[in-house]
Amino acid sequence: MDDQEQYAKLFNDIDSQALITLGVILVSTLLLIIASQRGLNWLANRLHGQVRFRVFALVPLTRLIILIAALAIAVPIIIEPSLRNMVTLLGAIGLAIGFALKDYVSSLIAGVVSAVELPYRPGDWVNIEGTYGEVKHVGMRTVEVQTPDDDLVAVPHLKLWDTAIYNANNGGTSLQCVASFYLHPEHEAGWVRKALRDVALTSAYLKFDEPIIVVAEEKPWGTHYRIRAYPVDPRQQFLFITDLTVRGKAVLSAAGITPALLPPDAALDARGAAH
Amino acid sequence: MAQGSTKAALSPWDVVTLDAFQTPERTQASQWRRSWRAATTWMIGREASERQAKQESELRALPEIKLAHVAPSIDWRPAAARLEQALKLYHDAPVVLFISPPHGGHSAVVSHWAEQQGAHCLTAPTLKELVEGSLAWVDSATQTKRWAIPALERHFLRHTHGLQGVRDLLERALSGRLGQSVMGCDSWTYAYLQHAVGLEGVPVLTLQGVEGEQLADYFSNAAGECPTVYSTRTGKPILISESDQKAVFKELQRLAAHCRGHLGIAWHYWRERLREPADDGDSSAQQSEKAPRDTSQELWLLDALADAELPADTGDLATLLLHTLLIHGGLEDHALKHVLPFSDHEALNARFALARRGILSHQQGRWQVAPLSYASVRQLLESRNYLVDPL
Repeated sequence: MDDQEQYAKLFNDIDSQALITLGVILVSTLLLIIASQRGLNWLANRLHGQVRFRVFALVPLTRLIILIAALAIAVPIIIEPSLRNMVTLLGAIGLAIGFALKDYVSSLIAGVVSAVELPYRPGDWVNIEGTYGEVKHVGMRTVEVQTPDDDLVAVPHLKLWDTAIYNANNGGTSLQCVASFYLHPEHEAGWVRKALRDVALTSAYLKFDEPIIVVAEEKPWGTHYRIRAYPVDPRQQFLFITDLTVRGKAVLSAAGITPALLPPDAALDARGAAH
Repeated sequence: MAQGSTKAALSPWDVVTLDAFQTPERTQASQWRRSWRAATTWMIGREASERQAKQESELRALPEIKLAHVAPSIDWRPAAARLEQALKLYHDAPVVLFISPPHGGHSAVVSHWAEQQGAHCLTAPTLKELVEGSLAWVDSATQTKRWAIPALERHFLRHTHGLQGVRDLLERALSGRLGQSVMGCDSWTYAYLQHAVGLEGVPVLTLQGVEGEQLADYFSNAAGECPTVYSTRTGKPILISESDQKAVFKELQRLAAHCRGHLGIAWHYWRERLREPADDGDSSAQQSEKAPRDTSQELWLLDALADAELPADTGDLATLLLHTLLIHGGLEDHALKHVLPFSDHEALNARFALARRGILSHQQGRWQVAPLSYASVRQLLESRNYLVDPL
């Protein structure tokens, strides 16, 4: 009898008016979330540069604020918000989570953390456990990443706890691209360095606010050159790398510089290692 | 004396260093207005977003003869004379750059200066020479006391072989071996060459941005006897000050801000957006009922903002083409394939589409951003993080 009374005290009397209020809160929350998510995504996709990323960053944050506001209104309708009641309720929820919904809730909590810490936001180019692509949507449980092959990969937020998240542009418009050239060791390195710098300087996609760096590294089979430069827009990265590669090859080839080729024994070794 | 100093203050030919260049008052407000205009046009349509005191349908374009009288071509010779005065401060500098935006007159000013000073002008290389990386044209620059390049943008190409020539030329010129030179340069080319070649320490001069009052003075005096010009937006005369106490030329200040203070661009607006009342019986009758006045001596200026606008969703292909044309001070069709990462066909299609919408114009065999589209194109490129000019 006492247990029943205590149980009854935990929850308020849910009459028809309370049910209607809860229903209105639920529907309003859903509508607000859908409208804000669609509206902000629509707006961000029509913007460019830094403003685009700022609007994208608002998408998960807005949803979180709407959810917290809805909970703050709905919870006092269902339960009497005393310390005892809250401890009882949270204890029960914790038990359920611990046994059955651990990963699901972990992802939801990580989703809240991601909205605050912003390790990724829509428009960012991220690499999570080998999945590289543009963040298209930060949901409550998962982050949707569109790969360059046009696959949409849903990665649960709980990866945030123990996985390194590589963010190539971190909410900005600067994303470094690398174009590699593997050259035969016998060439004039100083000339190649200048020529590759000019290749970057004459690219239509180049962002001039960021530096252009040509890195040369000597390897047993030749010299590995890398142009490190930034495109105007992160979405141009593959076109930019292709442009650098195509024009770089043409310049080097016209100058009679041959590409590095692995010696036959090294090729055989590599094949053996692969097996 | 006071009249003389006022006249000097109203002169649009003030040559200043690049650091001293200032855009006119309300330039930022003009950019916001342009964005707001684009948004309202998108939401409620062009007609509804433009509240006009006079409808465009009641007006017609001026015949060419009348236009030549009311808005004659700009005579850049006074600017060349002012350039010579400014150059006296740089008598020991081997190279001085004179920059202006597209349609800003740097080429004409430096050509006039060279003519006035009897300086030799260096011939620009051909496209073939630039693409092949030939340096023969650089060797033609021999030591003379004073020499000039009217348009430095014709001496390079954004191509792996197209930079070496301008680098060699600037290296020789900056060493002082070739004598003293004045180089006219497009402001976009200057911005690019600063990164690609490096122009640190080279004195850079430009024309100071003009304000509305200076435009009013220039347009009034350029035409021998200028009729009264009214604004279609407000219906008020625009070459007469709106205040008795101080000079207020709101409409022309609006135009100056829209053109970022560049007289050359403002002149194009003036020339292309002047209208005269159409000989339509009904509209004339209505006009005479409202306010009887002699319409033969009145002209109307269409709203400067109602020009060829680029939509916000302009694609990468068009954006890259516009930026490339600005950096080169305009290009011929057959040069596009050398400077754009697209096929010939794609580049020509993009060029054709932009030209059809009035964004590009064809001048002296080259395609360039049209003067009336320049402001919106610059704003678009700036919003997308492209390299923009310093003016």
